[in-house]
Amino acid sequence: MNVSKEDARISLSAAQSVMDQTHKAISSAYANPLLILWGILWITAFTATHFYVHYAYYIFMTMAVVGGLSTTVIIRVFRSKAPVKEKSSPKFGRRVTALWIFLCIYIIIWLFLFAPFTGLQCNALICTAVMFAYIVMGLWFNNRFMIVLGLAVTAGTLVGFYLLRNYYCLWMALVGGGALFGTGLYIRLRWR
Amino acid sequence: MAQLDNIIHQPVRLQIMSSLVSLDKNEQVNFTYLRKLLKLTDGNLGAHLAKLEEAGYVKIEKAFVARKPCTFINVTGKGRDAFEGHIVALKDIIHSGKG
Repeated sequence: MNVSKEDARISLSAAQSVMDQTHKAISSAYANPLLILWGILWITAFTATHFYVHYAYYIFMTMAVVGGLSTTVIIRVFRSKAPVKEKSSPKFGRRVTALWIFLCIYIIIWLFLFAPFTGLQCNALICTAVMFAYIVMGLWFNNRFMIVLGLAVTAGTLVGFYLLRNYYCLWMALVGGGALFGTGLYIRLRWR
Repeated sequence: MAQLDNIIHQPVRLQIMSSLVSLDKNEQVNFTYLRKLLKLTDGNLGAHLAKLEEAGYVKIEKAFVARKPCTFINVTGKGRDAFEGHIVALKDIIHSGKG
């Protein structure tokens, strides 16, 4: 079979394009609805906390419960529509779930270890710990977006904590919630 | 020097194999998803998959997901090796100045 240099280049380019497209689309199957959900929750919770700071604990507890239940529903719904399934038992999903459970436990441990702390410190700790989990999942899934998102929101959290204390919540609604929502929307629109 | 694979070189089959090798070894992709990703018709995709299955490059399995029949496809080890050999052959052509 004789193939010209140009035809070989075109074939190689086409192959690489499909590989990239497949990898992105599959790795984002769950990502975009969950990012959009948590983006909306962060925007709502942080904005509400800015105006009703005395109710911060109840606002964020509600966010956590609503977010946790919604995440479970979304994963169940999308599992049946997932384009990829594992031939072996779905151990990876259980590992991701275990990651989040252990993260919650460790956050509680850290809060006990570092008490007493301000509400601002507590919130910044939780936000950065959650972003650490995003980075870990980005490394697991070989998903650069998750890693960059985790690093960007961590940086935004530190900027808000050290430089914008009086407007921390509004800043986090914009930077944290906005980044999550925007990334989810971008993935949904561009990686279909 | 690596050889081009006549079966994989066909443009649609090259795309199918490119998509399948992107999965991990224990993963299978849904037929419908593959069809949408590659913008093919059912018949077109089915015919090319049959050719690849005949060559031993892919494995096709039918299963039920949420009580609906689904078809899942994964690349075999033979298919993965053949695809990698084909890619190496393409790169050799590009770098050797042939054609």
